[in-house]
Amino acid sequence: MSTRPEVDVSLEDVRRAFGAAQALKGVSLAVHTGEVYGLVGPDGAGKTTAIRLMAGLLLPDAGHVRMLGEDPANTRSSVRESLGLVPQRNTLYGDLSVDENLRFFSRLFGLSKQDFAERRERLLDITRLGRFTDRRADALSGGMYKKLALACALLHRPRVLLLDEPTNGVDPVSRRELWELLYGLVHEGMTLLVSTPYMDEAARCHRVGLLYSGELIAEGDPRELARQHGAAANNFEAVFLALVEKRDGGRAA
Amino acid sequence: MASTRVNHRVGRILAMAGKEVLHIRRDIRTLYLALAMPVVMLVLFGFGISFDVDHLELAVVDQDRTDLSRELVRQVTASQEFVVVQDGTSPDEAVGALRKGTAMSVLLIKKGFAEDVKRGGAQVQLLVDGADGNSATQALAKAQALVEMAGRKLGGPVRVAAPPLEARVRTLFNPDARSAMFLVPGLAAYLLAIVAVLITALTVAREWERGSMEQLFATPVGRLEIVVGKLLPYLGIGLLQVLLVLTVGAWVFDVPVRGSLVALSLGSVLFLVGMLGQGLLISVVTRNQVVATQVATMTSVLPSMLLSGFIFPIENLPTPLKLISTLIPARYYVATLRGVLLRGNGLDVLWPQLVALALFAALMLVVATRRFQRRLD
Repeated sequence: MSTRPEVDVSLEDVRRAFGAAQALKGVSLAVHTGEVYGLVGPDGAGKTTAIRLMAGLLLPDAGHVRMLGEDPANTRSSVRESLGLVPQRNTLYGDLSVDENLRFFSRLFGLSKQDFAERRERLLDITRLGRFTDRRADALSGGMYKKLALACALLHRPRVLLLDEPTNGVDPVSRRELWELLYGLVHEGMTLLVSTPYMDEAARCHRVGLLYSGELIAEGDPRELARQHGAAANNFEAVFLALVEKRDGGRAA
Repeated sequence: MASTRVNHRVGRILAMAGKEVLHIRRDIRTLYLALAMPVVMLVLFGFGISFDVDHLELAVVDQDRTDLSRELVRQVTASQEFVVVQDGTSPDEAVGALRKGTAMSVLLIKKGFAEDVKRGGAQVQLLVDGADGNSATQALAKAQALVEMAGRKLGGPVRVAAPPLEARVRTLFNPDARSAMFLVPGLAAYLLAIVAVLITALTVAREWERGSMEQLFATPVGRLEIVVGKLLPYLGIGLLQVLLVLTVGAWVFDVPVRGSLVALSLGSVLFLVGMLGQGLLISVVTRNQVVATQVATMTSVLPSMLLSGFIFPIENLPTPLKLISTLIPARYYVATLRGVLLRGNGLDVLWPQLVALALFAALMLVVATRRFQRRLD
């Protein structure tokens, strides 16, 4: 007997415009519990808008957004206690040290001193930031900064983690380390939604949604999508280009 | 359950406040702006802005040339409030000096002055340059007083030629009419207004600019918790500023504190909360440090200087400006400070000012919090 997977995050026919620019044009997607969902698309595709809608930082013009069964934009909702967000921009406090940033966010999430001490130790260990606790955040390298942002978002052990282009501007070694870290979190039962402009990262996800010009042009298992388009599993760029060509060609016709 | 929620709220407010303290400690410019600048400006302004008239250039036209006339000039200039720059000139030359600006006033002692004094009544004439109205008024008053005092010492009444009515004036609360006594309370309100509005507008706008608001909004911290947490450290700094400014006022300018400390503290807290709320509102609306600075300057610096009674008496303002001044909190704080420091007032007298400050503070906080949405659009 097959069981229907539980949905942690969903967008239903969501539209969102900024002035005359349509950032999302009726996007529907669902992220299942315990999976790594990749929102893949080029710059300007609407990835950041979609993530901000999921985090309740923006309101949709139309459609519905659900996060763990709740409307994330509802300020009375408790969803933020179960949500972690790593924004695309460097949004931590650059003049605060690694430790001060961790401590600050732990207090916002209401962690006790004992819980903080335990989680700090573990997060510093898995992010390998233990040697840099006194270093100011703006003095960290790009990769270390992303790891700190990830650590801050993981302090309260969220059920869902939204990562907006976490590997952007990060060197290949740090990218690999970050992905290993993310797999480790999924093994602990966390649901991950990762946006990325890098097609090669699609293969690392359980499922992907290909976002192009505000529309979700394909969704599914990346290996299955590659097979359908006759591409090698590690050549997702070819899949994406074929889909874009098909979508633009169809429209022209 | 409810107490846990309250504990979490308090914890988040304290976390926000603690983070702000770290920012302040790391950014020496903010500390300078907050603490050193008001004191430096108070001292500079306190000495620089003065309506006191001193060392007035005096041209003496002594047509009597007697011991008594010379003694009168000596008596008038003894206190250095008047300094003789021309002596023994003709009336025409003296008026010429007034025109050229080399003299501010002319003392004309006509021939027969000494005999008139001995007969029991003499007059001298004083000409004053009216181009500077304030100096002219003060020069006239000082000269009248000095000549009459000198006349008593000379043995007979000497009067500056004047209308037959004479008013006997006694100035209360600031009997020496020292500008510092009048200016320091106004200056304190003005400086606090600038610093409080500016710092808050800048710090909150900075959160928007560098994107940290996005990170904050993804946590359980509420908007009121952000507002209160961010404002608490600046309220503390503001109160420290009040203490510093009053200490410098007392130490450097001998400005007393004669009235109720409760009224002073309450007025200071309410004024600062209002100013911090105004700064917050500006930053919420502008979300940009440069624009926030300009708006803060326009809405706090100019009104606090021109419409608070700090320099220009509110009674002398045209009716439209007088009405606008009722919306300027600095007006009520200046009145509170002058009331407490100089007149020795307490809550019984100053409550209308405190109510106005409380209303402004509440309005600013409510509007700022409502405009401060937990969203990025």
